[in-house]
Amino acid sequence: MITVRVPGPLRALTGGAAEVSLDAVTVRGALAELERKHPGVATRVLDASGAVHPFVRLFVGADDIGDLAGLETVLADRDELAIVPAIAGGAHA
Amino acid sequence: MTRRALVVGAGGLGGPLALALGAAGLELWIVDPDVVEASNLHRQVQFTPADVGQPKAARLAAAVVARGGVARGFQTRWTPDDADDLGEAMDLVVDGCDDPGTKFGVADWAVAAGTPYVIAAAVQLGGNAMAGAPGAACYRCLFEAPAPALQCATAGVLGPVVGAIGGVAAALAIGLVRGDRTHAGSIFVFDDLRAGADPRIVRFQPRPGCPACARAPVATRRAESA
Ligand SMILES: [Zn+2]
Repeated sequence: MITVRVPGPLRALTGGAAEVSLDAVTVRGALAELERKHPGVATRVLDASGAVHPFVRLFVGADDIGDLAGLETVLADRDELAIVPAIAGGAHA
Repeated sequence: MTRRALVVGAGGLGGPLALALGAAGLELWIVDPDVVEASNLHRQVQFTPADVGQPKAARLAAAVVARGGVARGFQTRWTPDDADDLGEAMDLVVDGCDDPGTKFGVADWAVAAGTPYVIAAAVQLGGNAMAGAPGAACYRCLFEAPAPALQCATAGVLGPVVGAIGGVAAALAIGLVRGDRTHAGSIFVFDDLRAGADPRIVRFQPRPGCPACARAPVATRRAESA
Protein backbone atom coordinates (compact mmCIF):
# COMPACT_ATOMS: atom_id res chain seq x y z
CA MET A 1 0.00 0.00 0.00
CA ILE A 2 1.36 3.40 -0.95
CA THR A 3 0.03 6.90 -0.35
CA VAL A 4 -0.52 9.48 -3.06
CA ARG A 5 -0.39 13.08 -1.86
CA VAL A 6 -2.97 15.04 -3.83
CA PRO A 7 -2.36 18.80 -4.26
CA GLY A 8 -5.10 21.27 -3.35
CA PRO A 9 -6.11 22.08 -6.93
CA LEU A 10 -6.87 18.39 -7.64
CA ARG A 11 -8.76 17.58 -4.46
CA ALA A 12 -12.07 18.46 -6.07
CA LEU A 13 -11.52 15.22 -8.00
CA THR A 14 -10.81 13.13 -4.89
CA GLY A 15 -13.78 14.27 -2.87
CA GLY A 16 -11.53 16.62 -0.93
CA ALA A 17 -9.06 13.93 0.12
CA ALA A 18 -5.48 15.14 0.48
CA GLU A 19 -4.14 11.62 0.31
CA VAL A 20 -5.25 8.44 -1.34
CA SER A 21 -3.96 5.02 -0.33
CA LEU A 22 -3.70 2.38 -3.02
CA ASP A 23 -1.75 -0.63 -4.20
CA ALA A 24 0.67 -0.15 -7.05
CA VAL A 25 4.03 -1.46 -8.22
CA THR A 26 5.21 1.58 -10.18
CA VAL A 27 4.51 5.29 -10.35
CA ARG A 28 2.67 4.77 -13.63
CA GLY A 29 0.63 2.03 -12.03
CA ALA A 30 -0.18 4.26 -9.08
CA LEU A 31 -1.49 6.97 -11.40
CA ALA A 32 -3.60 4.41 -13.25
CA GLU A 33 -5.07 3.15 -10.00
CA LEU A 34 -5.64 6.73 -8.85
CA GLU A 35 -7.50 7.40 -12.11
CA ARG A 36 -9.61 4.30 -11.59
CA LYS A 37 -10.58 5.45 -8.09
CA HIS A 38 -10.92 9.13 -8.96
CA PRO A 39 -11.51 9.65 -12.68
CA GLY A 40 -9.95 12.79 -14.11
CA VAL A 41 -6.91 12.97 -11.86
CA ALA A 42 -4.50 11.24 -14.21
CA THR A 43 -5.30 13.52 -17.13
CA ARG A 44 -4.23 16.45 -14.94
CA VAL A 45 -0.89 14.72 -14.42
CA LEU A 46 -0.22 12.92 -17.71
CA ASP A 47 -0.74 14.13 -21.25
CA ALA A 48 -2.40 12.14 -24.03
CA SER A 49 0.88 10.40 -24.84
CA GLY A 50 1.28 9.25 -21.24
CA ALA A 51 4.10 11.66 -20.39
CA VAL A 52 4.05 13.89 -17.32
CA HIS A 53 2.70 17.36 -18.09
CA PRO A 54 5.46 20.00 -18.15
CA PHE A 55 3.82 21.87 -15.25
CA VAL A 56 3.75 18.90 -12.91
CA ARG A 57 6.53 17.13 -11.02
CA LEU A 58 6.23 13.80 -9.24
CA PHE A 59 8.23 12.93 -6.17
CA VAL A 60 8.61 9.66 -4.32
CA GLY A 61 9.45 10.70 -0.79
CA ALA A 62 11.99 13.48 -1.26
CA ASP A 63 13.22 12.17 -4.61
CA ASP A 64 12.25 13.53 -8.00
CA ILE A 65 11.17 10.58 -10.14
CA GLY A 66 13.41 12.07 -12.85
CA ASP A 67 16.34 11.07 -10.66
CA LEU A 68 14.87 7.57 -10.24
CA ALA A 69 13.32 5.61 -13.08
CA GLY A 70 10.67 8.14 -14.09
CA LEU A 71 7.17 6.74 -14.37
CA GLU A 72 8.60 3.23 -14.19
CA THR A 73 10.04 3.90 -10.72
CA VAL A 74 9.22 0.93 -8.53
CA LEU A 75 7.36 1.75 -5.33
CA ALA A 76 7.88 0.08 -1.99
CA ASP A 77 5.23 -0.49 0.63
CA ARG A 78 4.43 2.77 2.46
CA ASP A 79 6.11 4.97 -0.14
CA GLU A 80 4.62 8.40 -0.62
CA LEU A 81 4.03 9.66 -4.14
CA ALA A 82 3.57 13.45 -4.23
CA ILE A 83 1.99 15.28 -7.14
CA VAL A 84 3.39 18.82 -7.21
CA PRO A 85 1.94 21.18 -9.83
CA ALA A 86 3.25 24.63 -10.67
CA ILE A 87 0.82 26.86 -8.82
CA ALA A 88 0.33 30.57 -8.58
CA GLY A 89 -2.07 32.25 -6.23
CA GLY A 90 -1.63 33.90 -2.92
CA ALA A 91 -2.57 37.40 -3.91
CA HIS A 92 -6.13 36.87 -5.09
CA ALA A 93 -8.88 34.58 -3.91
CA MET B 1 26.48 47.74 2.14
CA THR B 2 22.73 47.80 1.75
CA ARG B 3 21.34 44.89 -0.21
CA ARG B 4 18.48 45.56 -2.56
CA ALA B 5 15.61 43.17 -3.22
CA LEU B 6 12.90 43.20 -5.86
CA VAL B 7 9.53 42.02 -4.49
CA VAL B 8 7.07 40.97 -7.20
CA GLY B 9 3.54 40.94 -5.83
CA ALA B 10 2.31 42.94 -2.82
CA GLY B 11 -0.54 40.64 -1.81
CA GLY B 12 -0.89 37.75 0.59
CA LEU B 13 2.63 36.40 0.04
CA GLY B 14 4.29 39.68 -0.87
CA GLY B 15 3.14 41.20 2.43
CA PRO B 16 4.98 38.88 4.81
CA LEU B 17 7.90 38.69 2.39
CA ALA B 18 8.33 42.45 2.26
CA LEU B 19 7.81 43.01 5.99
CA ALA B 20 10.39 40.34 6.84
CA LEU B 21 12.95 41.43 4.26
CA GLY B 22 12.46 45.09 5.15
CA ALA B 23 12.98 44.30 8.82
CA ALA B 24 16.12 42.36 7.87
CA GLY B 25 17.56 45.57 6.48
CA LEU B 26 17.13 45.05 2.76
CA GLU B 27 16.10 47.97 0.56
CA LEU B 28 12.96 46.91 -1.27
CA TRP B 29 11.50 47.70 -4.65
CA ILE B 30 7.93 46.42 -4.62
CA VAL B 31 5.98 45.85 -7.84
CA ASP B 32 2.23 45.16 -8.08
CA PRO B 33 -0.36 46.45 -10.54
CA ASP B 34 -3.39 46.19 -8.27
CA VAL B 35 -5.19 48.31 -5.72
CA VAL B 36 -6.27 47.08 -2.28
CA GLU B 37 -9.79 45.67 -2.17
CA ALA B 38 -11.85 45.08 0.95
CA SER B 39 -12.00 41.38 0.08
CA ASN B 40 -8.17 41.20 0.34
CA LEU B 41 -7.97 42.25 3.96
CA HIS B 42 -8.50 38.83 5.54
CA ARG B 43 -5.30 37.44 4.06
CA GLN B 44 -3.28 40.55 3.24
CA VAL B 45 -2.76 41.64 6.80
CA GLN B 46 -0.30 44.38 5.87
CA PHE B 47 -3.30 46.44 4.76
CA THR B 48 -6.03 48.15 6.75
CA PRO B 49 -9.48 49.35 5.69
CA ALA B 50 -7.94 52.79 5.16
CA ASP B 51 -5.83 51.32 2.33
CA VAL B 52 -8.80 50.16 0.25
CA GLY B 53 -8.63 51.72 -3.20
CA GLN B 54 -4.94 52.58 -2.86
CA PRO B 55 -2.13 50.90 -4.86
CA LYS B 56 -0.91 47.76 -3.10
CA ALA B 57 2.74 48.36 -3.94
CA ALA B 58 2.78 51.85 -2.42
CA ARG B 59 0.80 50.82 0.66
CA LEU B 60 3.04 47.82 1.31
CA ALA B 61 6.11 50.02 0.87
CA ALA B 62 4.58 52.44 3.38
CA ALA B 63 4.05 49.57 5.83
CA VAL B 64 7.72 48.62 5.51
CA VAL B 65 8.82 52.22 5.98
CA ALA B 66 6.54 52.62 9.00
CA ARG B 67 8.49 49.77 10.61
CA GLY B 68 11.81 51.48 10.00
CA GLY B 69 12.60 49.85 6.66
CA VAL B 70 13.44 51.27 3.25
CA ALA B 71 11.05 50.54 0.39
CA ARG B 72 9.36 52.02 -2.61
CA GLY B 73 6.37 50.78 -4.53
CA PHE B 74 5.67 50.68 -8.24
CA GLN B 75 2.11 50.25 -9.46
CA THR B 76 2.85 48.17 -12.51
CA ARG B 77 2.74 44.57 -13.64
CA TRP B 78 6.23 43.12 -13.74
CA THR B 79 7.30 42.28 -17.25
CA PRO B 80 10.64 41.17 -18.62
CA ASP B 81 10.63 44.26 -20.86
CA ASP B 82 10.84 46.78 -18.06
CA ALA B 83 12.58 44.43 -15.65
CA ASP B 84 15.98 45.66 -16.64
CA ASP B 85 14.93 49.15 -15.53
CA LEU B 86 13.16 48.03 -12.38
CA GLY B 87 15.47 45.26 -11.42
CA GLU B 88 18.88 46.62 -12.13
CA ALA B 89 21.53 45.73 -9.59
CA MET B 90 19.24 43.60 -7.45
CA ASP B 91 20.86 41.35 -4.89
CA LEU B 92 17.72 39.24 -4.52
CA VAL B 93 14.39 38.71 -6.28
CA VAL B 94 11.34 37.32 -4.51
CA ASP B 95 8.04 36.50 -6.15
CA GLY B 96 4.68 36.10 -4.48
CA CYS B 97 2.48 37.17 -7.36
CA ASP B 98 -0.59 35.29 -8.50
CA ASP B 99 0.11 35.16 -12.23
CA PRO B 100 1.66 31.89 -13.49
CA GLY B 101 3.32 33.49 -16.50
CA THR B 102 4.85 36.23 -14.38
CA LYS B 103 6.34 33.68 -12.00
CA PHE B 104 8.18 31.99 -14.86
CA GLY B 105 9.23 35.39 -16.22
CA VAL B 106 10.59 36.49 -12.85
CA ALA B 107 12.52 33.25 -12.41
CA ASP B 108 13.91 33.32 -15.95
CA TRP B 109 14.97 36.92 -15.50
CA ALA B 110 16.69 36.23 -12.18
CA VAL B 111 18.54 33.25 -13.67
CA ALA B 112 19.68 35.33 -16.64
CA ALA B 113 20.85 38.08 -14.29
CA GLY B 114 22.67 35.63 -12.02
CA THR B 115 20.55 36.84 -9.06
CA PRO B 116 19.35 34.55 -6.27
CA TYR B 117 15.58 34.30 -6.06
CA VAL B 118 12.61 32.72 -4.31
CA ILE B 119 9.32 31.86 -6.00
CA ALA B 120 6.41 31.37 -3.60
CA ALA B 121 2.85 30.25 -4.21
CA ALA B 122 -0.13 29.28 -2.06
CA VAL B 123 -3.47 27.75 -2.93
CA GLN B 124 -6.19 26.63 -0.56
CA LEU B 125 -4.44 25.02 2.44
CA GLY B 126 -0.93 24.60 1.11
CA GLY B 127 1.71 25.97 -1.16
CA ASN B 128 5.35 25.95 -1.96
CA ALA B 129 8.48 28.03 -2.01
CA MET B 130 11.37 27.40 -4.36
CA ALA B 131 14.84 28.84 -3.82
CA GLY B 132 17.19 29.43 -6.73
CA ALA B 133 20.72 30.71 -7.10
CA PRO B 134 23.39 30.70 -9.80
CA GLY B 135 24.65 27.21 -10.53
CA ALA B 136 21.64 25.42 -9.02
CA ALA B 137 18.62 23.97 -10.79
CA CYS B 138 16.14 26.71 -11.66
CA TYR B 139 12.36 27.14 -11.52
CA ARG B 140 12.11 26.19 -15.19
CA CYS B 141 14.24 23.11 -14.54
CA LEU B 142 11.53 22.14 -12.06
CA PHE B 143 8.46 23.15 -14.05
CA GLU B 144 8.95 23.54 -17.76
CA ALA B 145 5.95 25.80 -18.36
CA PRO B 146 2.97 27.37 -16.61
CA ALA B 147 -0.15 25.27 -16.22
CA PRO B 148 -3.07 26.14 -18.45
CA ALA B 149 -5.69 28.24 -16.69
CA LEU B 150 -8.06 25.36 -16.12
CA GLN B 151 -5.49 23.68 -13.90
CA CYS B 152 -5.55 26.57 -11.44
CA ALA B 153 -9.32 26.61 -11.17
CA THR B 154 -10.65 29.41 -9.03
CA ALA B 155 -9.24 28.08 -5.80
CA GLY B 156 -8.91 30.62 -3.05
CA VAL B 157 -6.41 30.45 -0.25
CA LEU B 158 -6.87 30.43 3.51
CA GLY B 159 -5.53 33.65 5.05
CA PRO B 160 -3.06 32.13 7.54
CA VAL B 161 -1.62 29.89 4.81
CA VAL B 162 -0.12 32.81 2.91
CA GLY B 163 1.43 34.08 6.14
CA ALA B 164 3.08 30.74 6.75
CA ILE B 165 4.31 30.23 3.19
CA GLY B 166 5.40 33.87 2.93
CA GLY B 167 7.38 33.49 6.15
CA VAL B 168 9.17 30.41 4.87
CA ALA B 169 9.89 32.15 1.57
CA ALA B 170 11.34 35.12 3.47
CA ALA B 171 13.58 32.85 5.55
CA LEU B 172 14.86 31.19 2.38
CA ALA B 173 15.42 34.59 0.78
CA ILE B 174 17.36 35.97 3.74
CA GLY B 175 19.52 32.84 3.69
CA LEU B 176 20.26 33.32 0.00
CA VAL B 177 21.18 36.98 0.31
CA ARG B 178 23.55 36.08 3.12
CA GLY B 179 25.25 33.60 0.82
CA ASP B 180 23.68 30.44 2.20
CA ARG B 181 23.10 28.17 -0.81
CA THR B 182 21.94 25.16 1.24
CA HIS B 183 18.48 25.19 -0.28
CA ALA B 184 19.26 26.60 -3.73
CA GLY B 185 17.67 24.26 -6.25
CA SER B 186 15.14 23.00 -3.71
CA ILE B 187 11.41 23.38 -3.33
CA PHE B 188 9.60 23.36 0.00
CA VAL B 189 6.16 21.83 -0.47
CA PHE B 190 3.42 22.23 2.12
CA ASP B 191 0.58 19.87 1.29
CA ASP B 192 -1.88 20.94 3.93
CA LEU B 193 -0.96 23.22 6.81
CA ARG B 194 -3.85 21.89 8.89
CA ALA B 195 -2.16 18.51 8.91
CA GLY B 196 1.25 19.84 9.91
CA ALA B 197 3.81 22.48 9.12
CA ASP B 198 6.65 20.18 8.08
CA PRO B 199 7.40 20.75 4.41
CA ARG B 200 8.48 18.13 1.96
CA ILE B 201 11.89 19.50 0.95
CA VAL B 202 12.92 18.28 -2.46
CA ARG B 203 16.22 19.09 -4.10
CA PHE B 204 16.00 18.67 -7.83
CA GLN B 205 18.62 18.48 -10.53
CA PRO B 206 19.24 20.88 -13.42
CA ARG B 207 17.25 19.71 -16.42
CA PRO B 208 19.37 19.11 -19.52
CA GLY B 209 18.38 21.57 -22.23
CA CYS B 210 16.66 23.99 -19.83
CA PRO B 211 16.29 27.21 -21.86
CA ALA B 212 16.49 29.43 -18.77
CA CYS B 213 19.73 27.89 -17.53
CA ALA B 214 21.15 28.29 -21.04
CA ARG B 215 20.80 32.06 -20.62
CA ALA B 216 22.56 32.18 -17.25
CA PRO B 217 25.86 34.04 -17.09
CA VAL B 218 28.52 31.59 -18.26
CA ALA B 219 30.59 31.87 -15.09
CA THR B 220 27.68 30.68 -12.98
CA ARG B 221 26.61 27.71 -15.07
CA ARG B 222 27.29 24.28 -13.75
CA ALA B 223 30.28 22.62 -15.27
CA GLU B 224 28.87 20.31 -17.90
CA SER B 225 30.33 16.89 -18.16
CA ALA B 226 31.77 16.11 -21.54
ZN1 LIG C 1 16.94 25.67 -15.50
